[in-house]
Amino acid sequence: MIVPMSHILAISATMFLMGFACVLAQRNLIMVLIGVEIMLNAVGLTLVGASALWEQVDGQIFVIFLMAMTSAEVSISLALVVYLNRRKHTLEADAFSEMKG
Amino acid sequence: MNPLLLFLILLFPLAAAVVNALLGTRLPRGAVVATAVGGVALSALASFLLWPLAAGEGTRATLYTWMASGDFSAAVEIVYDRISAPMALMVTFVATLIHLYAAGYMEEEKDYARFFALLNLFVFAMLVIVLSDNLLLLFLGWEGVGFCSYGLIGFWYFEERNADAGRKAFLVTRVGDVFLGVALLWLFALTGTLSISQINEAAAGFAPGTLFLLSLLLLGGACGKSAQLPFMTWLPDAMAGPTPVSALIHAATMVTAGVYLLCRLFPLVSLSPEAMAVIALVGVATALYAATCAAAQREIKRVLAYSTMSQVGFMFLAVGIGSVSAALFHLFTHAFFKALLFMGAGCVIHMTAGENDIYRMGGLARRDRLLFWCFLIGALCLAGAPLTSGFFSKDGILVTAFASEVPLHRFLWGAGSFIALLTAFYTFRLLYLVFLGAEKRPVGAHRHHLPGVMRWTLVPLAALALLGGLFDLPPLYGGGHALREWLGPLAGIGPHLPHAVEWLLAGVATSIFLLGWVFAHLRYRIAPAPGESLGARFLLSGWWADRAVYTVVVRPFGSLARFFWKVADGRLIDGSLHTLAEGSNVLGEGLRRLTTGRLHNYLTALGWGGVVMLAWFLAGYLL
Amino acid sequence: MATIIFYILAMTALAATGMCITRRNPVHAVIYLVNSLFAVALIFYLLGAPLVAAWEVIIYAGAVMVLFLFIIMMLELAPTEQPQGAGWRRWAPVLLFSLIILGCTVALMAVDPDAAEGVPTYYASPRIFGYTLFQEYALAVQIVSFQLLYAAVGAYYVGRTPRRRQEAG
Repeated sequence: MIVPMSHILAISATMFLMGFACVLAQRNLIMVLIGVEIMLNAVGLTLVGASALWEQVDGQIFVIFLMAMTSAEVSISLALVVYLNRRKHTLEADAFSEMKG
Repeated sequence: MNPLLLFLILLFPLAAAVVNALLGTRLPRGAVVATAVGGVALSALASFLLWPLAAGEGTRATLYTWMASGDFSAAVEIVYDRISAPMALMVTFVATLIHLYAAGYMEEEKDYARFFALLNLFVFAMLVIVLSDNLLLLFLGWEGVGFCSYGLIGFWYFEERNADAGRKAFLVTRVGDVFLGVALLWLFALTGTLSISQINEAAAGFAPGTLFLLSLLLLGGACGKSAQLPFMTWLPDAMAGPTPVSALIHAATMVTAGVYLLCRLFPLVSLSPEAMAVIALVGVATALYAATCAAAQREIKRVLAYSTMSQVGFMFLAVGIGSVSAALFHLFTHAFFKALLFMGAGCVIHMTAGENDIYRMGGLARRDRLLFWCFLIGALCLAGAPLTSGFFSKDGILVTAFASEVPLHRFLWGAGSFIALLTAFYTFRLLYLVFLGAEKRPVGAHRHHLPGVMRWTLVPLAALALLGGLFDLPPLYGGGHALREWLGPLAGIGPHLPHAVEWLLAGVATSIFLLGWVFAHLRYRIAPAPGESLGARFLLSGWWADRAVYTVVVRPFGSLARFFWKVADGRLIDGSLHTLAEGSNVLGEGLRRLTTGRLHNYLTALGWGGVVMLAWFLAGYLL
Repeated sequence: MATIIFYILAMTALAATGMCITRRNPVHAVIYLVNSLFAVALIFYLLGAPLVAAWEVIIYAGAVMVLFLFIIMMLELAPTEQPQGAGWRRWAPVLLFSLIILGCTVALMAVDPDAAEGVPTYYASPRIFGYTLFQEYALAVQIVSFQLLYAAVGAYYVGRTPRRRQEAG
């Protein structure tokens, strides 16, 4: 290990929280999705760090799966973004509040 | 002979019932009647031809295992033995005659198919009771006769009164059936079987208290079916049904099912002297009650209904003093002469175009001699005229009571003799008012055609009623107690008295009969107006038993039900449910504000959830 | 050396991410995110995962981000008015991040021209990686591929132009 594991964890946690802050703070659906991407990326960083720590390849393989899942998620969610935009001609998250009880 | 042939006795009435129930409305009347009568007649023939199977220990036949579950198993299993064979023969024979009679009686009825289907089904159910060797199967028949009785009492259900009578009979007997059901379950819990023979064998091992309570439960069941105190109120109302039904169900067969049940389980019941005393007392009390009521009734069929109750009370008395043979003997002779009386009453009603009130009849003897003589024979038997069957059977019971060592039985003998006096009195009252005296109605105005088949079916019954005493003629009159001998070990105790005492008792019985006749003669020779005094009304209404039941049972029950309806159900259950629903509603109204539909609220909540979880783990790590 | 580069890259990644999440213009956000992803890819390399690093660049920075850009442009989400301020000021952070990442890459190549051993730490060779992925995790690979298929079908279904509504509109 070139750096202590705790430093990797700190970096990835910071990135994760940044992503989460983006998700919470931004109202634009595209920005929300970008925040999700950041969070996923942070998780990937943790996994690679763990892989290096325990010298096992499995962590990296999980990152591969993570990427595949992310691609799937992104394709679906972007399709939804297109659909929603077509319905309301806006991407403000608050515009879609039909689930209000 | 193949024991399975015994099932033919059951099969014929059942097949006739099924055919009439399914196809009856499409078949011509002749075919329906022929099916109904034929089914019962073939059953009677089968009972007769299979008689040899009943000798000795009897014959058992199992058709199949009805139900089996764990240790429990009940087979469709019948037994043709010393008790059930004569009973089956009597039931089928009397039923055949009554079916024939009904063919005439229901000549103008449109709904004959339903009538005959129910009647046949009744015979089947009754035979199930008689032949069953398994208490569960017996219970099936027990409920079956109850159902048929209900259907037939309310046969003319277009009139509210008739339907009410049917419901009343059904409900009241159901109370007795609950006792029987409890007894069945208890017996099963004790012995692990419901076979009558096995239960009778195992009964010797029961504790005295258990035996007493079991016997009382069985007595309760028997009382419900046999219209004994305190379940007697349904029988007079049951006369709302067609007269053949009254003859068959409410005189000859079904009401004696209770007696029969006690006879079948006599080895068990007889082990508890206290229970025997209770049975005898119930019998005597009912007999006394019914006899007094019968003396004041105005409807011909109600007189006969109360007298049936009274005579069945005598049978209970016989069982209670321990003589199965006397009970069964009286059961048989009573079936003959009471069926005869009911059928005669049906003829009378038919002739007078539906008149029921005996005070508005009279002088019918001159209109139809055959009917008069047949009815007279039946009445003499009921009244206990010497040398008729009723004399021998009733006297048999009283003599047995007199001969017994138990002090109570001497008292019962006295009460029984008094009841016999009442019986003779009300029987002759009926005879005088209906057949003798002057005709109250204009002759010829309502002259009604009486079908021949109704008149001629009376004759064989009259012969049997007259000569039925020969079946169990005591040695005193040169007989050999044929029924007693036949029953063998099942017969219970018998009288052992010096001949002189027996002669004396016979003399007493004869004088009682004559005394009753004289009383009736003095009072009703010149037909008086019906009594309107309080006492007469008291007796007419059956000691206000209906009103008492209404006050003691129905009204409190109604109040209780209303309480449960309004308070327990309405306020408590519904109220709590409503409150719960209201509370949920309010809660939901509050909670729905949480679902804003805005994505960021949800995500924030998710974030807080994550924070709480992390804090929890952190706390666990640090502390 | 590797440790220093690691911290430089980590700072770069964090700074780029920070810039990314504060942008109002989605296009800018995506550009900063690409920067961040490049930095993370290099960190992956430093942590002994060269294959994952390559895929990070190819899939994330290449495919996914381009998809984002494509959608943003298709829906015309970028603000059309010209932002205030001088051009170089707006481009300075991106250029700075890009230069740092480029510098780190060059430095790494200078240290280890063959890129054979990478840095002295655990190193998952593509051979081991492939064996593990397609033997131990064969089932997971199948499942994930189905997932991708469903995603493709689903995206097509959600994104199709409904004919009826078109007629009504």
